Amino acid sequence: MNGFTRWWEVTRRELLTGLRRPAYWLLFAILLLMAWGWSEGAVTIASGDSTVGGEQSWVTSVFAQSMIQCIVVMGIGAWFLAIAAGLVVIRDLELQVTEVFHSTRLTPREYVWGKFAGAVGVFLVIWILYLCMGAVFNHILAAGEDARHIGPFALGNYLYPTVLFGLPQILLFAGVPFFLGTWTRRPIIVFFFPVTVLLVTLGFLTLWSPDWLSPGANRALMIVDPSGYRWLNETFLKVDRGVEFYNTAVLRPDAGFLLSRVAYGLIGLLAVSGAAVSYAGRLRRGASESRLFRRRRPAEAAGHAVATSADATLRDLEMATEPLGFWKAAREIGREEVRELVRRPGMYLFVPLILYQSIFATLVAIGPFNSRLLLTSGAVAVRQLNTLTLLICFLLLFYTVESLHKERSRRLAEIFHATPIGTGSILLGKTIGNSVVAGLILSVGVVASWGVILYQQLFEGSPVRFDIVPFVATWGGVLVPTFIFWTALVTTLFAFFRNRYAVYAIGFALIVYTVYRMDIDDSFGWALNWMAWDAVQWSDLGAFSLNGRELLLNRILYLSMVPPLVLLAVKWFGRFDFDATRLVHRLRPKPLLIGALRLLPFALPAIVLALVLHFGGEAGRQGEAAEEAGKDYWRENVRTWTDFEMPSVSNVDMAIDLEPAERSASVEGEYTFHNHRDYAYDQIPITAGQWDPIEWTLNGEEHEPDDRSNLFVFTPEVPLGPGDSLTIGFSYELEFPRGMSKRASGAGQFILDAGVVLTAFSPTFAPIPGYDAGIGVDGDNSSEPQDYADDFYEGETEPLFGWGGEPFTARTRITLPEEYTANGVGQKVSDEVADGRRTVVWETDHPVALFNVVAGRYAVKEGDGTAIYYHPEHDYNIEEMSAALDAARKYFSEWFHPFPWDLLKISEFAAFATYAQGFPTNITFSEGIGFLAKSDPRSHVAFMVVAHEAAHQWWGNLLTPGQGPGGNILSEGMAHYSTMLLHEQVYGDRYRIEFGKRLEQQYGDQRFVDSERPMVKIDGSRAGDGTVTYDKGGWVPWMLQQEMGRENILAGLQAFIAKYNPDPDFPVIQDMLAVLRDFAPDTTAFDAFAEQWFFDVVVPEYRFSDVTKVREGGEWVVRGTVENVGTGRMRVQVGATSGERWSDEGDDGSRTVVNDDYRDARTEVELGAGESAEFVIRAGFEPERVLIDPDVLVLQLNREFAVFEFEE
Amino acid sequence: MLQIRDLVKVYPGPVAALQGVSLDVSKGMFGLLGPNGAGKTTLMRIVAGLLEPTSGTVAFNGEDIVADPRRIRRQLGYLPQDFGFYPHLSGEAMLRYLLVLKGVQAPQGLKKLAAELLERVNLSYAAKRKVKGYSGGMKQRLGIAQALAGDPRLIIVDEPTAGLDPEERIRFYRLLAELAEDRTVLLSTHIVEDISVLCPRVAIMYGGHFVADTTPGEAREQLTGTIYQGAVAKEDLSGIERRYRITQAILIEGRNQVRIHLPLRDAADDGVPDGFEAVDPTLEDAYLLLAQANGSGANAGAPETGS
Repeated sequence: MNGFTRWWEVTRRELLTGLRRPAYWLLFAILLLMAWGWSEGAVTIASGDSTVGGEQSWVTSVFAQSMIQCIVVMGIGAWFLAIAAGLVVIRDLELQVTEVFHSTRLTPREYVWGKFAGAVGVFLVIWILYLCMGAVFNHILAAGEDARHIGPFALGNYLYPTVLFGLPQILLFAGVPFFLGTWTRRPIIVFFFPVTVLLVTLGFLTLWSPDWLSPGANRALMIVDPSGYRWLNETFLKVDRGVEFYNTAVLRPDAGFLLSRVAYGLIGLLAVSGAAVSYAGRLRRGASESRLFRRRRPAEAAGHAVATSADATLRDLEMATEPLGFWKAAREIGREEVRELVRRPGMYLFVPLILYQSIFATLVAIGPFNSRLLLTSGAVAVRQLNTLTLLICFLLLFYTVESLHKERSRRLAEIFHATPIGTGSILLGKTIGNSVVAGLILSVGVVASWGVILYQQLFEGSPVRFDIVPFVATWGGVLVPTFIFWTALVTTLFAFFRNRYAVYAIGFALIVYTVYRMDIDDSFGWALNWMAWDAVQWSDLGAFSLNGRELLLNRILYLSMVPPLVLLAVKWFGRFDFDATRLVHRLRPKPLLIGALRLLPFALPAIVLALVLHFGGEAGRQGEAAEEAGKDYWRENVRTWTDFEMPSVSNVDMAIDLEPAERSASVEGEYTFHNHRDYAYDQIPITAGQWDPIEWTLNGEEHEPDDRSNLFVFTPEVPLGPGDSLTIGFSYELEFPRGMSKRASGAGQFILDAGVVLTAFSPTFAPIPGYDAGIGVDGDNSSEPQDYADDFYEGETEPLFGWGGEPFTARTRITLPEEYTANGVGQKVSDEVADGRRTVVWETDHPVALFNVVAGRYAVKEGDGTAIYYHPEHDYNIEEMSAALDAARKYFSEWFHPFPWDLLKISEFAAFATYAQGFPTNITFSEGIGFLAKSDPRSHVAFMVVAHEAAHQWWGNLLTPGQGPGGNILSEGMAHYSTMLLHEQVYGDRYRIEFGKRLEQQYGDQRFVDSERPMVKIDGSRAGDGTVTYDKGGWVPWMLQQEMGRENILAGLQAFIAKYNPDPDFPVIQDMLAVLRDFAPDTTAFDAFAEQWFFDVVVPEYRFSDVTKVREGGEWVVRGTVENVGTGRMRVQVGATSGERWSDEGDDGSRTVVNDDYRDARTEVELGAGESAEFVIRAGFEPERVLIDPDVLVLQLNREFAVFEFEE
Repeated sequence: MLQIRDLVKVYPGPVAALQGVSLDVSKGMFGLLGPNGAGKTTLMRIVAGLLEPTSGTVAFNGEDIVADPRRIRRQLGYLPQDFGFYPHLSGEAMLRYLLVLKGVQAPQGLKKLAAELLERVNLSYAAKRKVKGYSGGMKQRLGIAQALAGDPRLIIVDEPTAGLDPEERIRFYRLLAELAEDRTVLLSTHIVEDISVLCPRVAIMYGGHFVADTTPGEAREQLTGTIYQGAVAKEDLSGIERRYRITQAILIEGRNQVRIHLPLRDAADDGVPDGFEAVDPTLEDAYLLLAQANGSGANAGAPETGS
């Protein structure tokens, strides 16, 4: 038998052994599920046309397969490979078979390489099976809608990514742990490697790509990323190249990337080679431990020591036996576990790693509009919950299994298990020991979080103080039960299977599956959410106010599962080897039933709680009953009432009696309908919420409208003629949110102890005139977006939001506990307190199109015709926000239309949803927006979000856009444009430029090239419409301003608002352009601009070439060529500059100050798509760089590449 | 009193490790002899409460061990055949930990007790050394120390002297003999001589059965006058083998030193081979003859057993 044959025998044996392990088949099952998911189009490259029949990016393309494979190998394969390959030699050493092996002609090198090849071979077999099944799912089984994502079969599309992305990772993730396991013989080190690489890669290397990252650093990170995803993403995916490219282009790696792949593969193989050397060396030395971990031993006595008391008897010792009590025994076991844990390196490796991950994730947290968040103690604690849950569960899985397996792996089991100590004590003791790790991480985590908040205080001027209570409440109340349950479950699984690989596989699968279900399809309800994943929506205004009851039951549920699990673990724990024959007898139905009945009393609380959570959730607002009621509403009314044009509501009179602690309210009110149309109404429909019973009146008389599943249709005795009015009254009681939640989720509107947010957008507290097309519609019955004709806006257009018709007056009477402040639309006409109840009356001083109610325990900051109501501890940005609101009211009134109401106010609400809404006079802000934004004199985040939301008083309320394509751009895009203007007005060019660049960057990153439509066609139905609506929607008016001139466009916008406020015809972009055109100094240029930016999709992208500078006489002459490699035709400046433009000196950096030594000289070129032009710039200084569009006046892609730096 | 009744153990395969064995063991040292795979370790693990039998009962002082293995653990001193320790602990720390788990108490305290136990097994010099640095014999002695610690009423030792040098072996047996005065000691070993010296009673197992339950003296007595020893040339050995039952044949300096079993009547009929003389029988002769008899599937010629 030659060396190759011996190597092959070792390989073959390992391969066959591996293929019998359940862990690998579990891996295969996971991969199979994934392959099926891919074939259903669960993951594709974000490109293509989302409309019916539009071209889709194929999941079978080489790009999609590369994307999938590099992440799957990294995310899932790495774990299995590392554990499988890393433990393979350790296992043989534990079994003490290696010495026997090497008494044969088998060399250490043959053994090591054989073991490695076998371990990798098993994975490759599974992987190839996965690829085959993926191909079957994709090309044979996928049909219908799913087949849109499937391209023609090409074997290379599956194998090429495996070779380029998979194989280097496979070698790396098998090789390095194999070396670590062989070298150190410590499973913890093996475990450490994939977890570290996974966290660093998936948490940082693959996705971390801030705007300011230099191309060189970015390139370096691409090379460093072992998954290859960063290279793929940054090179091909991040900026959409279009579906045609992804489906058909060839994926060519550049030399640097290719070398990095080869290098990773070689690192893996070198590691195996190192393992062979280490293994052989140890065999020669006969050492049982690694040199690394061996400690110096005390010098041995020479030769065999001689007993000093050879005649001593055991009887002299007077020994007795008194078995330990339960707790004392557990304490002793726990103490020994801790002693060992302290000695092992794992804790010192994992604790910092986990803290790094959780703290890092917290520090980089961003809020709406990409604003950095000011981290309060509660926010810090809750933002770490998921990360800590995930990582500590992994850690506990490993430590618990290894701890339970410890006696067996060290062959102490028979002695250990023959001691009189109770099994319960053993398990509890081991649990206590392992809990120390979790406890240590949490304790250090609290200290580190305190450090984060202290850092904010010291270096960022944050006023936030550390508070331990949120940590105790969330980490103690949420994490600790998870860890107790998880440890009990892992222990029970181990006791049952008595095989650590099986438990690793099941535990890993359980964690991954839970996170998948919670994160991807959010389908685990409270009864199944054992990790309490995403279960806490923290609010400083009232923690646990929304889902606290369900969360508490969920935590008790999983704690109550611990006793039965412990009982099973104690029963099954392997200190006693069951007889197979007796076991079969015990598995007969009758003994099983008896066993189950015995367990029932212990399991009963958990069963009851699970049923309460399940059925309570089903009966609540997210349950099937609510869903079915919505569907009934839709089914019964969609055909009849969808296009029904309602008469106007001319007055709203509401009285709302709120009980925040009870989540309830009683409501009484009356709507006055006015027929502003030229025809009469026989019927008037009103949509109500699920409030039962509702008492209705018609013109003051009791009335029973036709109940069409909560669409109440009123039939007046006399039809409502043109110009006539009638009143519909109502009274009812409501609970909102209604009943228990089914799963952890936020809420956009609520009546809670933490505060009250109610809007008349939907029938949450007030009936809605007409049919609500949003009720009862989900993925099953949603229709394709409406296809609008080009001239859809001609004639009367319905409003995009609100009740339609003419604006109305409103009177809102709110009664609630006296400690609350209640805000409504209009101005406050009275505020009285009696018997501990406050009654506030708000009346509109100018008609409104919508109304809302918001209440909380507020402090107030009053400004110039403005007020901000906020949580007393959230005063961090209050000055900046107040100044922004004052400036917005002042300048928007000057620029667009006088503010017609008396008071403009912002009210904060609990962060159970993250949004802001600009109701007339009564703006609501989630606490995460503005109030807890990390604003500083340079970022002006709080200013920005206030300016945007305040702008909706004009672009949304005074000018309500029409329903249809482009409508929302008049709201969101114009709000961004207004914010740019206000930035420029208040802070100067520098910060307007920064804001513009930020919007431009978002547009470049988030647009979908293939499916992007002209702005006049944007209806929000396609991926990528969001960035066009907001970011491009803000930029294009800004460019139009350059085209028309500032005064002209502002005059035009004033005329536009004046024309449509009020008007039953609600405008869209075309209406705005029609008005603005009259103010354009050059209508030809205006038309050309409108044509390409509003009616077409263009975006320039500039590149320099052949740039030189020479000194000619007393000046420097810069020559070069600039090309528009993008689309569109724009005039754009080219600047040659020297020095840094902006200074941080003076005005505390919050105003634009230009550096004295900054110089620039400019010229202008006009380039169409694909055109280039030579330019010459003459400067009286030596230029350091040439750049396009120095003042950021033209929206473009990849601005950072349109800079040329002269070498020194 | 240890009572074993109709004990059956079938491993998946199926392999019948015990085929209905019954045994009563009272105080004192009880030896268990048998070839590899005879079922000794299986029997001991069942008695130690670590393995569930397929059927049958085991009771110690009237307490059913099979029904509730916990009952035996507080009265048990157990040294398995194959064992290890936590490698990172010193011998003293490891022993002290096991003493704590066993609930051992002593007037001098556990630390001192551990030291004295280590002294009894001649391991004091390595008490502070990590167990991972121990030789096989040192680990065995540490195992012995923990097995003898406390006040066990039943001591089970499976191949306890493996790896011990003669001096340590004698030391261990002396300790064991001391303990056996007032408690039950179940000793399994391949070293027949040890059983012969130490155990007033011995059971011989073969193929999952007890084939003998006797005393060493009885076993020897049964063979009195039937064992002959002589030297045979290599080429003549096959002729002897055909005619006689050989209990031992050792090649020494080119000639086989052979012991044969010749029942009294056969000795009269066939005669004693030339050069052979009657010698005193040993327990080993009895054991080997039993083994041969069971190996050939017949009991013919096996000494009768008493109980």
